Amino acid sequence: MRFVWWTALKDFQRQRRSPADLALWFGMPLLIGTLLVLSMGGRSGPRPQAQLLVADQDDSALSRFLLTGLSQDASGSFIRAEQVELEAGRKRLQKGKASALLVIPAGFSDAVLAEKPCTLRLVTNPAQRILPGIVEESLRIFADAVFYLHRVVGDELRRFAGGPAPGLNTFPDAQIAGFSVSMNRLVDRVTSYLNPLAIELVTTTDEEEKEDQSPQQSYALLFLPGLLFMSLLFMSQGLSEDLWRERSQKTLRRVVISPGSVTQFLAGKALYGVVLMACTTLLALTIGFFYFELPASVLPLAVAWSTFSGTLLLLIMMTLQLHVSSQRAGNIVSMSIIFPLMMVGGSFFPFEAMPDWMAKIGGYTPNGWAVQQLKAILSQKVQPQSLGLAFSGMLVVGGILFLSCARRLRRGFAQG
Amino acid sequence: MIDVKELRKTYGDLVAVNNVSFRAEAGAIFGLLGPNGAGKTTALSCISGLLRPDAGHVQVLGHDVVSDGRASREKLGVVPQELALYEDLSARENLRYWGAAYGLRGKRLEDRVQAVLELIDLHDRAKEAVKRFSGGMKRRLNFGCALVHEPQALLLDEPTVGVDPQSRVALLEMVKEQARRGTCVLYTTHYMEEAESLCDQLAIIDHGKIIAAGTLAELRAKMGERDLLRLTGRFDPAKVRQALSRLDGVEIVQVEAAAVTLAIPEASRMLPSALQLLAATGAELHETTLTQPNLESLFIKLTGKELRE
Repeated sequence: MRFVWWTALKDFQRQRRSPADLALWFGMPLLIGTLLVLSMGGRSGPRPQAQLLVADQDDSALSRFLLTGLSQDASGSFIRAEQVELEAGRKRLQKGKASALLVIPAGFSDAVLAEKPCTLRLVTNPAQRILPGIVEESLRIFADAVFYLHRVVGDELRRFAGGPAPGLNTFPDAQIAGFSVSMNRLVDRVTSYLNPLAIELVTTTDEEEKEDQSPQQSYALLFLPGLLFMSLLFMSQGLSEDLWRERSQKTLRRVVISPGSVTQFLAGKALYGVVLMACTTLLALTIGFFYFELPASVLPLAVAWSTFSGTLLLLIMMTLQLHVSSQRAGNIVSMSIIFPLMMVGGSFFPFEAMPDWMAKIGGYTPNGWAVQQLKAILSQKVQPQSLGLAFSGMLVVGGILFLSCARRLRRGFAQG
Repeated sequence: MIDVKELRKTYGDLVAVNNVSFRAEAGAIFGLLGPNGAGKTTALSCISGLLRPDAGHVQVLGHDVVSDGRASREKLGVVPQELALYEDLSARENLRYWGAAYGLRGKRLEDRVQAVLELIDLHDRAKEAVKRFSGGMKRRLNFGCALVHEPQALLLDEPTVGVDPQSRVALLEMVKEQARRGTCVLYTTHYMEEAESLCDQLAIIDHGKIIAAGTLAELRAKMGERDLLRLTGRFDPAKVRQALSRLDGVEIVQVEAAAVTLAIPEASRMLPSALQLLAATGAELHETTLTQPNLESLFIKLTGKELRE
């Protein structure tokens, strides 16, 4: 077993003398992560905002209320509404200078007050995906609100929708007073129903509340796991390629003809990978702990998970390298695999920013699956049973891959 | 002692080693001499355990290399033809690692590393990365890596290829020293001078077969006291054979349209007659080479070609 340690130590000494690989493994994810965060305005920068153009053909109090509401309510930080003429709005949308165009048709106010069907048309910018979605969702909320408003104050609304009595310019004082009294009674009646809503907010768990109040943590969950696994994938690729270097410098042959077994040699290389990955993960998650306020209690499990799944990635890459015909072929094949894996596996773009079908595919890739599990660990939503099952499955697959690598090393690869 | 019996190794249709048998004794240097591609490295790979023989048996100090591979590998030190070193590591780190591969540890490992560094004369540059070494220094370290565990049998596969004369002399002296200490040395080379000056026993190998074996004296005796006369030019093979058969004691080794090789006694006396007879056949001579009896001439006599072809 000592040869395992000697091999791991030897690889560490070699790595120390050639730090260029290390710089690449750490530098690339750091660079990409920094660019991603900067492109979103940084941690404290402005949130991305949907530019909503509104063509108000109704020009009623209700349509103006909708326009103001979209800009000022909770969604206001995400939506910037601007009133435009229909044609001008279309042109701007075609030029890609807005997220969506909302057309409020003439008669909208009357239809809403009379509770008649009415269509609000929303034209979205196909070049954008998330921001038009936010606008669409806000309008759905508005439609729901109108429905409930009718259920509660429908009669009063309809009475006012009919306008003042013939021959009068305004509503009589008695009618307005009556409306005020009925509204007051209504508020009294619904207070008992509205209050529990406020109480419901209080019943959220501490963690959820903390999560809601901590935008930094969501940033960490969004990017950190994917970037960490990008680094681990680069490491796996680099460390597995070292088998070719060992072969080309004939040291692998020397191992085969020495009493120190090839299995121990491979175990030593894997051990070095494990240590390197554990250190990397620990460093990344410690940064996450201090900078993004990740909970410290999840750190050991997160480090163990990332190291374990990183080692599995290393064994997969080693298996790949041992079954191609040359170092060049190994390099081309591994590169052509790891970049798509990073793309769909949540390293370049978080799953949350992917189309559903792509996120689904990403979840089936080894790194994507590991990233999702890590996110679950970091957000403390992981099921211990499923995690135990995942660890056991990886152990079995890792064992099979390791033995197949050792066999291939002994039977042929070393002799080339 | 290394005992090889009817060793055979094929690569598809190519028979790389064909029923090779020999025995290398402790305290002696056994040379395997042959041109490139003769099967020397394949034979050594089978002995070292890198390749599995198709047939035959190889024993290293009584341990079969297939059925008792680990024990035989522990006794063996192998100096491969190509450098097998970690260029990023220092000489000391390389020696330490290969010592550890042979099970050395602690003080014994450190002592052996130091002893080998002094033996190969790299103790003053022990901490320097190997990539900064000259070719000769790397060759010495490559040799040293095989000695860390004090092997009882040493395999050297053309260790002096591409080495400067000074380093070559130093390497050969170290090989002799190992034999003097009682190590069984198996040495492959295609340098006939090296084989002549170094080896106690020799086997000449070509196309995977041993075509002659014995001590240097025994092999020379196979040539008799005849010199080797090699002529190049344009010849009529049939006429040349007929004409030269008239000369007493001359052995026609090879006759081709462009070259004639003869084993000829008392060359200084016989040469004019031989040239006259050749001229009478209408031959056109371009070059004449006369070689004293040695391994090269024996190899030419046995195979009809030069060692370096």
